[in-house]
Amino acid sequence: MTFTDLMVQQTINGLSLGAMYALLALGFTLVYGILELINFSHFNVFMIGSFVAMWTLQMFGLSGQDVILAGLPLAGVLLVAFAVTMVFCGGLGVVIERVTLRPLRNVKGPAAMITSIGVSYILFNLILLGVGADSKNFPNPLPTIRYQIGGAVLDFRVILIWVIALLLMGALYFFVQRSRLGKAMRATAQDAEAARMMGVEVDKVIMMAFFLGSALAGAGGLIFGLYYNFTSFIIGFTAGLRAFTAAVLGGIGNVPGAMVGGVLIGLIEALAPDSIAWLLSKIGIVVSGPYAWTDVIIFSILVLVLVFKPSGLFGRVAPNKS
Amino acid sequence: MITRRAAAQLFATTAVTAALGAAGAAPARAADKVVKIGVDLSLTGADAQGATRQKDAIQMAFDAANQGSAVPGYQFEVLWLDDGTATAGQYDPAQAATNARKMVSDPAVVGALGPEMSGAGKAMTPILSQGGLATITQSSTNPDITNPKFAAQYRPAGKPIYFRTVTTDAYQGPNMANFYAETLKVKSVYILDDSGAFGVGVADTFEAEVKKKGVNVVGRDRLDPKAADYTAILTKIKSLNPDAMYFGGVTEAGVKLAKQAYDIVPKMIKGGPDGVTSSDFLSGGGFPAVEGWYTSIAAPHLTDDTKAETFVKSFKGQFGIAPDDYCITAYDASLVMIDAVKRVAATGKPVTRQEVQAALMTAKVPTIQGTVSFDANGDLADRTVSVFQITKDASKPLDDVAAQYKYLQVAPQS
Repeated sequence: MTFTDLMVQQTINGLSLGAMYALLALGFTLVYGILELINFSHFNVFMIGSFVAMWTLQMFGLSGQDVILAGLPLAGVLLVAFAVTMVFCGGLGVVIERVTLRPLRNVKGPAAMITSIGVSYILFNLILLGVGADSKNFPNPLPTIRYQIGGAVLDFRVILIWVIALLLMGALYFFVQRSRLGKAMRATAQDAEAARMMGVEVDKVIMMAFFLGSALAGAGGLIFGLYYNFTSFIIGFTAGLRAFTAAVLGGIGNVPGAMVGGVLIGLIEALAPDSIAWLLSKIGIVVSGPYAWTDVIIFSILVLVLVFKPSGLFGRVAPNKS
Repeated sequence: MITRRAAAQLFATTAVTAALGAAGAAPARAADKVVKIGVDLSLTGADAQGATRQKDAIQMAFDAANQGSAVPGYQFEVLWLDDGTATAGQYDPAQAATNARKMVSDPAVVGALGPEMSGAGKAMTPILSQGGLATITQSSTNPDITNPKFAAQYRPAGKPIYFRTVTTDAYQGPNMANFYAETLKVKSVYILDDSGAFGVGVADTFEAEVKKKGVNVVGRDRLDPKAADYTAILTKIKSLNPDAMYFGGVTEAGVKLAKQAYDIVPKMIKGGPDGVTSSDFLSGGGFPAVEGWYTSIAAPHLTDDTKAETFVKSFKGQFGIAPDDYCITAYDASLVMIDAVKRVAATGKPVTRQEVQAALMTAKVPTIQGTVSFDANGDLADRTVSVFQITKDASKPLDDVAAQYKYLQVAPQS
């Protein structure tokens, strides 16, 4: 493997990570854009999504990596798994909003955010106590098909993950830009008060934002499982924090910003440690284990970006105060 | 129809039965004195299955001691403590320190067993030392804890209080390195650890010894056990193309590493310490990802040994699952502790922490693994490290350590 091959491979790895972060970041951004609320329960909606996906796949008799499907059966199983997971997580998001966050909607201060942290911990512990703390072997029916690009390998499932993530994000983008409800969402994001006066049902719009964000998190959970072949009660924290960082990096509240931010964080995670170590080696500093510094690098870049562009790369979108 | 009183009575009877059942042994005779033994294990998190089996083994030993009145006039009571937390996802040093305080502050606790993990041990020892409470660990192998060089840190009160029924990573790491260099004829290796006290320590000792053997260490890096993605670093390892990879650490990072390494560097020789010799590693990593991994334990291999036959049989009978080697070291640790209490009681002196510690220093106890005795620092006199390879046996449960880890040999001593 040459240095170029290494970089190509790391770009492939980074794009796969980025696709997941982007799906997850959208949920933060949709809700923040409308409610100006950082919804921490989103971390573990993602985690629950991966479990729901796992159980759905297991219902088809899939276990571990032993059963491999192809063609129509594969497409069918995946379609059902995505549908079940996304509807379940979307519904979970709506319930969380309705039961725990709506009563606090007009309360000033951090009450709603703290509540969302509480909900996050409840979900986390429900899974921990319900299914145990060990890593679960995630069923994966995808065949192993590899394409060589020089010395780098592009896996079929990686392409599939990119395609699915792109389709979902494209659908969301068109929904927000073109549909009636999407327009209502944007109107509410701009000025909830005015939107209400124009006859927009704000409650419905907020529910929709939670549904869509959580459904995408569910899809992210399924993709996570297919990519890593495992899930565990703890996966929400690191992925959630990185995705949240992605949303802030892109400009929180900004839908395209979250997508680009997610992909950027993924690429940074995969490419930066080696690149920085390589640059440092040119000036005579040898770093023996650059990957241990991944988090430091990611968050330093975030800090740098925010210092010079406090509203993120694409500009922050938040409700106008009336 | 059940009347309210009848229901209350029924409930009371059930509760009493349950309480007796939980005690697991014949109720203490009124005249017997009760001595408490504190036990710290990582019962929550990625290593829970292994910990639960060790717990079962310890329970067996104390049940037998109580039923057979191993120490006349005394009954044992076990204080179970869990150092695993949900937020850590595995052992949590802060929780281990809290547990150590709980043991020390209970005057009835005269001895302790555990912890399972070295990271927990490092957090507990300063507190145990100040409290004068001696513990015997069945599986924590970090050598610093008992090294006199670090006495100020891990035994500030002076006396050795950390005893082991396994050897340390001063042998586990280097002996595995010898196995890599001499038996597997590895010429180049990439070393990873999981940032934990145990993982870093065993990887360090491994690294020092392979270098001595002339093996080229092409790189060394650290995994964040909470992160999900190791593909970037594995891609880097692939580009360096070493003969082998060594992972110092425990299950939480281990299973993810095994899965992703199987995708990216399927043919590379992979290995790790006792942290990945567990049913948690098998079930979390899953076949085919874990197939072929070389792993070690810091003890002789006993579950197939005739000496362990009765233990293995009754363990299986009671818990419906095969024990692994660290169940035996846990059982042995319990026997050593029971023996120490017995010898103190036999002298007629009151059973105190101080006396138990002194008795452990002079222990010479016949156990399943042979006669256990300790050196001046509390380390086990026997220094055997055993090597296994994960080899799928489809006819047995896929998370059965005894069936899926094929015993290879005793690792070469330096």
